[in-house]
Amino acid sequence: MASIASPAVDNTIDTPGRRTPLITGNQTYSSVTHMVARISEEAQPAIWWIAFCIAFPLLLMFGALIGYLILTGVGVWGNMSPVFWGWPIVNFVFWVGIGHAGTLISAILFLFRQNWRTSINRAAEAMTIFAVICAGTFPGIHVGRAWLAFWLTPYPSLNLWMWPQFRSPLLWDVFAVGTYASVSLVFWYMGMIPDLATFRDRSKSKWRRMIYGILCLGWSGSSRHWMRYEKAYAILAALATPLVLSVHTVVSFDFAVSQLPGWHTTIFPPYFVAGAIFSGFGMVLTLLIPVRAIYNLKDLITPRHLDNMCKIILATGSMVGLAYTTEFFMAWYSQNPYEFFTFWNRAFGPYWWAYWAMFLCNVISPQLFWFRTFRTNTVLMWIVTIFVNIGMWFERFVITVTSLSRDFLPSSWGYFQPTWVDIGMLVGSFGLFTTLFLLFCRYLPIVAISEVKGVMSQHAHAEHRLAHGKH
Amino acid sequence: MAANIPNDNITLPASWRGRAPVFVAVGAIAVLLSLGIFYFTNTEKAELGFRTFFHSYLANFIYCLSFCLGALFFVMVSHLARAGWSASIRRIAELYAYTIPWWALLFLPILAMVLFTPSDALYAWNGNVDNLTHVVQEKLVYLNPIFFSLRTAVYFAVFIIAASVYFKMSRKQDDTGDTEITLKLQRWAGPFIMLFALALNFASFDWMMSTDAGWFSTMYGVYLFAASMLSFFAVMIVTCYLLQRNGRIESLVTTEHYHDMSKFQFGFIVFWAYIAFSQFMLYWYGNIPEETLWYKYRMNNNWQWLGLALIVFHFAIPFLGTVSRHVRRNRGVMAGWAGLLLVAHWLDMTFLIMPNVSENTPMSVPLLFGHLICWIGMVSLFIALFLWRVGDTPVVAVKDPWLPDALAYHNV
Amino acid sequence: MSEHKVEKKAKPPRAFGWMAEYEDENKLLDAARKVRDSGYTRTDAFTPFPVHGIDEALGIKPTVLPWFTLFAGMTGTIVAITMQIWMNAVDYPYIISGKPYISLPAFIPVAFELTVLFAAFTTVFAMLGLNGLPKFSNPVFSNPKFDRSTDDRFFLWVDSRDKYFNSDKVKNLLSDTSPLSVEEVREDESPTEIPRSLITVILTLILLTLVPGAIVLNIRTAKSNSPRLHVFFDMDFQPSLKTQTPAVASIFPNGRVQQPPVPGTVARGELEFADPYYLGYDPAATASLGGSSVNLVSFQDGDKTPTRAAVPDDGQPPSPADQPATTDAPAETPAEEKIVQETGPAAPAQESTAAQEPAAPVAEVTAQVEEPASADEAAPVADLPTVPANAEPNYAWLTEFPLPTDEALFDLGRRKFEQNCAVCHGFSGYGDGLVSRRAEALAQGYWLQPTSLHAAAVQQQPVGRLYYTVTNGKGKMGGYGASLNPKERWAVVLYVRGLQRSQNAQDSDVPPGMTVTTQK
Repeated sequence: MASIASPAVDNTIDTPGRRTPLITGNQTYSSVTHMVARISEEAQPAIWWIAFCIAFPLLLMFGALIGYLILTGVGVWGNMSPVFWGWPIVNFVFWVGIGHAGTLISAILFLFRQNWRTSINRAAEAMTIFAVICAGTFPGIHVGRAWLAFWLTPYPSLNLWMWPQFRSPLLWDVFAVGTYASVSLVFWYMGMIPDLATFRDRSKSKWRRMIYGILCLGWSGSSRHWMRYEKAYAILAALATPLVLSVHTVVSFDFAVSQLPGWHTTIFPPYFVAGAIFSGFGMVLTLLIPVRAIYNLKDLITPRHLDNMCKIILATGSMVGLAYTTEFFMAWYSQNPYEFFTFWNRAFGPYWWAYWAMFLCNVISPQLFWFRTFRTNTVLMWIVTIFVNIGMWFERFVITVTSLSRDFLPSSWGYFQPTWVDIGMLVGSFGLFTTLFLLFCRYLPIVAISEVKGVMSQHAHAEHRLAHGKH
Repeated sequence: MAANIPNDNITLPASWRGRAPVFVAVGAIAVLLSLGIFYFTNTEKAELGFRTFFHSYLANFIYCLSFCLGALFFVMVSHLARAGWSASIRRIAELYAYTIPWWALLFLPILAMVLFTPSDALYAWNGNVDNLTHVVQEKLVYLNPIFFSLRTAVYFAVFIIAASVYFKMSRKQDDTGDTEITLKLQRWAGPFIMLFALALNFASFDWMMSTDAGWFSTMYGVYLFAASMLSFFAVMIVTCYLLQRNGRIESLVTTEHYHDMSKFQFGFIVFWAYIAFSQFMLYWYGNIPEETLWYKYRMNNNWQWLGLALIVFHFAIPFLGTVSRHVRRNRGVMAGWAGLLLVAHWLDMTFLIMPNVSENTPMSVPLLFGHLICWIGMVSLFIALFLWRVGDTPVVAVKDPWLPDALAYHNV
Repeated sequence: MSEHKVEKKAKPPRAFGWMAEYEDENKLLDAARKVRDSGYTRTDAFTPFPVHGIDEALGIKPTVLPWFTLFAGMTGTIVAITMQIWMNAVDYPYIISGKPYISLPAFIPVAFELTVLFAAFTTVFAMLGLNGLPKFSNPVFSNPKFDRSTDDRFFLWVDSRDKYFNSDKVKNLLSDTSPLSVEEVREDESPTEIPRSLITVILTLILLTLVPGAIVLNIRTAKSNSPRLHVFFDMDFQPSLKTQTPAVASIFPNGRVQQPPVPGTVARGELEFADPYYLGYDPAATASLGGSSVNLVSFQDGDKTPTRAAVPDDGQPPSPADQPATTDAPAETPAEEKIVQETGPAAPAQESTAAQEPAAPVAEVTAQVEEPASADEAAPVADLPTVPANAEPNYAWLTEFPLPTDEALFDLGRRKFEQNCAVCHGFSGYGDGLVSRRAEALAQGYWLQPTSLHAAAVQQQPVGRLYYTVTNGKGKMGGYGASLNPKERWAVVLYVRGLQRSQNAQDSDVPPGMTVTTQK
């Protein structure tokens, strides 16, 4: 039955014509269930508590800083003429970008029939949701009077007697990020329903059974339900794919529809999307490498999975590099002196350190993944992904701040200085993100159990067919 | 493993191969005829006739080359992703890609014009410097005959080397069945794709974008890529359909393959629209004169109808038409949709290049007629080159280790 | 209620159908095909993952779900486009960044997002709806073995409502398919009702969630005398102090927020309020007149002399006689319009009040009070900070130019007059500028012809008064203090004086050696 390969197999080695096993270690359906479900059933390891004790205070600090900001005003940030979009927007774009990998793994790789996604899609989707929560916080508090942020929604207001301005890309952003967050959430939740049912059925305590029973909506695993469920999943994947593209496209529109040199360029939409996927995979790896070690999921999240993700990072990092090149070339080719000045200024002006940090982290460091060592050694891999995360933050910083700090009016040129609140909020948003992720590991199925079993079944069939064809 | 492969007839019908010379003749005559048409419909300004002809030639050249570039990318990315499903159709793509060396020859007229004459019939930067705006003069460091030709040589070198490596290695596998070859091709796919992306990006700037030397768009290369991939899948669907109509590769290319190719085609319809819209949107919204000028030419002088036709026939109708799974699994219907998209792709290339003939060239019946004749000629050449390239080569790589996978898979 | 329960319990538990358990999906598929071929249609399988081929094996028909998606998506598009057009082009139209009201390219992103939003949510909810979820009470759950259906066991189910259902036959059929077990699913003996305690808890929770909303609603609708509750400061409390409010902790001993000017000082940047050169009148003298001058500076010292107007070395304004003017014909016919022929448009030498009142020291302030044109004007109230626009202020006007008048200043005045004044007042100052003529041509009832600068009242005005008018405007005329600097304003006044004199010239004004032609 559904046991797969032998543990000795290095599944990063390709055999043409044969699908490498996606999970290792003679797993059965039952052992897979147990491997995942035990994480939330057993006591958490010490490292979980240590991480939580670091992350949760940071979350509290984030909340306190938001409170301070709301009560005092946005002057507590370093945003100052001419750089009115400082770290909050940088953080927003950074976190939205991180979110993209989850949808990419669950939707685009699904459409491309990349079965290896099944071991990692749940955690990646959770990461998406949490990243989008972090992302949504920043523009929400950036509007100045955060308690009136709901004015962005088109509701028939008796106070205002007017409507939002739909010709503004910032409003498109509200719709794009709002749609993305809510659709990702239902997609994630829908994907979890069968696994929540597994948790319910394994529950020993009555309360646990009841809570998971409510959460899984009474899922029974009926084939008719599965049929509609799979259809819905495929449709959602097909909808989420253009959605994920549109979100970062709209984010890029925030910049690109303006006339500011360095922002107004047509390649921004695909380039932002590539960058988002790049950073998202970076973050997925940053999270999953420790998770698979801590929870001993090495048979589910195998070297093969890590290898594939490294390759995607390499590919998208190169795309980003191509976009940098194209942009720089076109800044010269357009013979627009302001445009070229902006790019020259990015690389050799006062923010040269940010530009080269970005370039080093985003273009050079992923090239290390050409080497097999870097794709198989988890420590090296983890270090590179950290660079990727840093680099993508710097990319948004470079785009946002360098262009603004040197706009058309030389008399108002300035140098951006973050305040302690800026720094605190960036760190705090990591606290929010990590806390949510830790709670997710604690309470929810972090691997899509039913999907992994489906792939095991398919693989068994394929092996069976191969064996059958050979004699 | 070969025992699994159904014993299909996997070579071209003999009657097809015999037709290649006819296609060449038709192609050559039609291209020359279009030159005549342009020349005689612009009697008062012979120079304009040449300009129109060269633009038409370039548009149709890129039209055909884009299939081959799409094919090349498809072959490489299939290897890169270890795609199983495409094993049975990849040879056809390899063959299309391997016609690129001959397409390099067909670029020679343009290259010769640039290198040996100071004509501005296609590229203003090649003409008299004094007629150029200051902005374009500043670009002459990059846009000059020598450097342009050098770059063209590099682009074609990248395309040709990649295409021949993938074709020849695949042919070698036909004989040996060596699975190491697949591994090797897989390993090389990454670097080749990077080179390909750079070459395609800059080739689109040089060959196409610089026909309007003042204008620029960083998205342009991506636009050409999207159009190439879309048209490539359309060509694949039509090719497979015609082969199967003639009793070839019947059980090798299944409904599942049509479904998959249609899905990709659908995906690229959306992607193309996304790229085209993004580019338009950003320039429309920014409203900066030197950027909007390109669109101004295309929104006046009747070209706007072509633009609207693109929205309808390149996006809206095929999008709605092929959204259904049932349509995608119907070979005949899909071949029809692919045919429509091939026409739309021609309109797209026309839209990109033809309004650049001069600032106020209207889209007129004589112009479209001449352009159409040139198109017929170029497509005939394309067919002839493909038939010649195939010759008696099997159109399916029978010893590809992924072939059993390709025949067995099912769309969920 | 309780009777009901008892009655129910008395009945034997209802049988819902038969359930067979398998250890892998292949056995399940074989069994499912067998059951299907036996003609049963009300069958189902329960599996831990979607088993490939089970739809065909059980004869499950494809779902209509995609249609929901399609229609919801289309609805989303239409709603988005209509909403945006209506909101931005119909209900509240306004132009922003030069874009048309209906900017379709700009409406596409939101249209796309709403399409996806509607389609995705409809898909999920339609899927749940078609599946009949959430459904918390399901007879299949009554068997403890069924817990493994989400782990590693596969169950086949034949419903008792099937039209061919026969308990024994089904049992035998299922037993032949090599199951791990075959069991009949019976009605659960455990109570189906939700426990009261749970209902109480849920209801309490719902009620509790309503509380904050109710409080807010109450506060928003009720009236209260206590100060507003400031959840958000919203810049209501700032370090800056407001007028009419006692300073909580003023730095001044008198407790006032604003302090009167320190005697004998001029506030930084407020020199203009103290200098006749800027004002056209002497504020100190005006104050002694009891005039309603606007003064922020106290002039107790009385020694404030304008320094701006440097007196020429000789103490004399340039004499008109020094200036060249040519006349070609003798001025004989006063009935005709006389024009002094000259090289320039106007002869600078012709004017200069200095010529009429010679040797008056520049910047000497006379306490002469201009009689208001409307003498019945209300007496100015000293406390009034400003004078009503039409009231004639009672100021100590300058009668002399506070700066040397020469040809350069006159030329400047001519340029500025023609640029700024002539459109209404006309080039010759008769109040017949182009604007005025156009307005009269349109017969606009509300149009008041601009004052002729040659009217007696204007001619009699001292230069300070003219300067004041140029600076601050008068009646419908706007002030030009913002667009002309003081020197330019004085230059305009000089030019006006020149105009006035040119239009009322006497033969004696013609300098000797020049002639005057008469235009027919």
